[in-house]
Amino acid sequence: MSRIIRNTTTREMLAQLAREAEGLSQRERREFLRKGVTALSAAAASGVAVAASVNTDNLPPNEPSWSRQLGHGVVDSPYGMPSTYEQHVVRRTVPWLTAESISSISMTPLADLKGIITPNGLVFERYHAGVPLINPDEHRLILHGLVERPLIFTMDDLMRFPSASEIKFIECPANGGMEWKGAQMEALQFTHGMLSCCEWTGVPLRVLLQEAGVKPEGKWILAEGADGAHMSRSIPLEKALDDTLVVYAQNGERLRPEQGYPLRLINPGWEGNTSIKWLRRLEVGDQPWYHREETSKYTDLLANGKARKFSFVQEANSVITHPCPEKPIRQSGFIEIEGLAWSGRGHIKQVDISFDGGVSWVPAQLKGLVLPKALTRFSLVTRWEGQTWLLQARAMDETGYVQPTLKQLREVRGTNSIYHKNSIHTWKVAANGEVTNVQIT
Amino acid sequence: MFKLPETAPALLGVGVLLASLSLSAAEPLGIGRMATADEIAGWDIDVRPDGQGLPPGQGSVMNGELLYESRCASCHGSFGEGIDRWPVLAGGYDTLTLERPTKTVGSYWPYASTLWDYIYRAMPFSAPRSLSVDETYAVSAYVLYLNDIVDDDFVLTQGNLARIEMPNREGFFVDNRPDSPNTRCMQECARPDQLEMVGTIGGITPVGHFRADVDAPAASHDAQKSLEDQKEEARLRALGVEVDETVPAAVALSDEAKAGQAVYEAACVACHATGLAGAPKVGDHKAWGPRIDQGVSVLIRHAIEGFTGKEGVMPAKGGRMDLTDQQVSRAVAFMTEKSQ
Repeated sequence: MSRIIRNTTTREMLAQLAREAEGLSQRERREFLRKGVTALSAAAASGVAVAASVNTDNLPPNEPSWSRQLGHGVVDSPYGMPSTYEQHVVRRTVPWLTAESISSISMTPLADLKGIITPNGLVFERYHAGVPLINPDEHRLILHGLVERPLIFTMDDLMRFPSASEIKFIECPANGGMEWKGAQMEALQFTHGMLSCCEWTGVPLRVLLQEAGVKPEGKWILAEGADGAHMSRSIPLEKALDDTLVVYAQNGERLRPEQGYPLRLINPGWEGNTSIKWLRRLEVGDQPWYHREETSKYTDLLANGKARKFSFVQEANSVITHPCPEKPIRQSGFIEIEGLAWSGRGHIKQVDISFDGGVSWVPAQLKGLVLPKALTRFSLVTRWEGQTWLLQARAMDETGYVQPTLKQLREVRGTNSIYHKNSIHTWKVAANGEVTNVQIT
Repeated sequence: MFKLPETAPALLGVGVLLASLSLSAAEPLGIGRMATADEIAGWDIDVRPDGQGLPPGQGSVMNGELLYESRCASCHGSFGEGIDRWPVLAGGYDTLTLERPTKTVGSYWPYASTLWDYIYRAMPFSAPRSLSVDETYAVSAYVLYLNDIVDDDFVLTQGNLARIEMPNREGFFVDNRPDSPNTRCMQECARPDQLEMVGTIGGITPVGHFRADVDAPAASHDAQKSLEDQKEEARLRALGVEVDETVPAAVALSDEAKAGQAVYEAACVACHATGLAGAPKVGDHKAWGPRIDQGVSVLIRHAIEGFTGKEGVMPAKGGRMDLTDQQVSRAVAFMTEKSQ
């Protein structure tokens, strides 16, 4: 699938950038910009004209139509939906990635989201046998194996335990995996959208384990789902006792069916598939099970033919969400460069931005909540006057780990790992403000 | 006006009560109940490399071949070669270091137990948990045979499965990341004249939602199917071929069909809503027309007994042997009436 052009070198681009900077007078530069930028922004920049889809009857000094009539009342929509003007903010997939939609994946529209919380209806989907519709009264969790007291819980039982709420990202380890061999995806949603972040509420798994009493020889836990795939993963007991949650709610409401209703695991900072959805069974054992999703899949094949197993942690990663292909630069002048950074090892400590493809870097600011194993928003305000940019973000986490370049990653892993591609990503911003996905090595 | 709850003053005492009831960390809270041995046994389906979890039973390569052809080949291919984007099961030896490795049961999987476990827990895709223990042994044996790991007279059993040595059993090592060190360089971190830039080309990413006038794939499987149908119709029109544009009118379902809807939704939808394994999709009157023309009784017989056609395979009762013949025939009525 990787059809790649190799005809533009960075050197040529930087040379072009220099020519633009030196060769154009201010007036010419303005003219150049005005021509290059789309009609909408050029018009907006001029301060009078408006886009064709706008009804000027609704603009000042007129009273808009909605201000001269009544709207609908309460409970018109008992469960509220976004404005009809936001219908483009939806999950999407790349159909050719999978044979059909039941065992497939969709991506979160990161370009349109603000802050660090992903709305429940936009959390990316990954199913191995589709979404089961489970009656919570008929759902059970069995906890057995190397325990003193094998237990069975109803949902009501689980909700009697003291609850905990944690804001954590969840990411498919295949996020970015289409780009090992070359740049392929022409949108942020598809390069980085197997990524979401929610406030999860449930019971720490260690509390349930304590209730059952783990025997000394217990070292691993098999988690299994109630979907048709009976999706299963082996989890080290150490993680289970550390921060694994058995959750029944996300962002304040009960889990969505797509996210495991009525019960799922959350392994903070670890590859998403370990956070088993529709959780029905936990078995304590003394060794891992080597099931399909930890041998055939979710192992990372290196160039020498050997494969890494139990590669659980999602290492530090980052991406610029504005500008991006879906959000090109529409106006010259002030611009806030924004993005998301995250690390499965803890807090994000620092994010740096490069405008020249990684030759030089400047620090960005972290803003809003900075939480461990959560999406973290970064920002840098600057000006754009029609320069060509090769925009990159580079995250560093609390362990001192610095997000690698694509070249560094490929040198160690080759290009057949599929999973865990967390290299520095590049957006090329053209003189007309359009943004495209490129790779620099 | 809002009123304060009348019990508000009483709440003041609750803090004291809670403090006196606080539990030590190690004590069980007494929530839930003991799971019975039967409850556990029904769900405890997992198998490990050392054979723990395997139930007594056996299956031969020969029996596995018949099962494989009827239950697995429609997606995985008669030789394990994989149809469309469905997983390739066999072959691929010595490809793991190539630019395009073929990771199969034989070339990649480290343990035979994984095969048995996965088939028993999740296969066949459209009817998980429908294979018996002995059938699972047989299908597993056949997939091992397709990979030249066992001979054609082999019988796989509870006793010998853990002893099978898979070719790539030494091919894995435990996560040793971080493995790709970078530093927080701020200036002159790379030499511009040594950098190479690679771009994307259009046509393979769904970008129609933010870019106008592009020929791009759709952003869902259903939308992509409609897009391809539209393109095909346009192509035919350009060639002067007559294209059937009649939109089927909504028909009132018979009682038989109404009774079949629930069966359809529980048992048939996985394939017949998606076109999986060449299944005609409900509502696709072009796909169903020639089938309905054969007579519904023929369709019902094929659905009950199984049928292999040019476009795909209909397993007997779609793999759901728990369904009665009447349930299957009602589901057929539902699908045909919705697709006329």
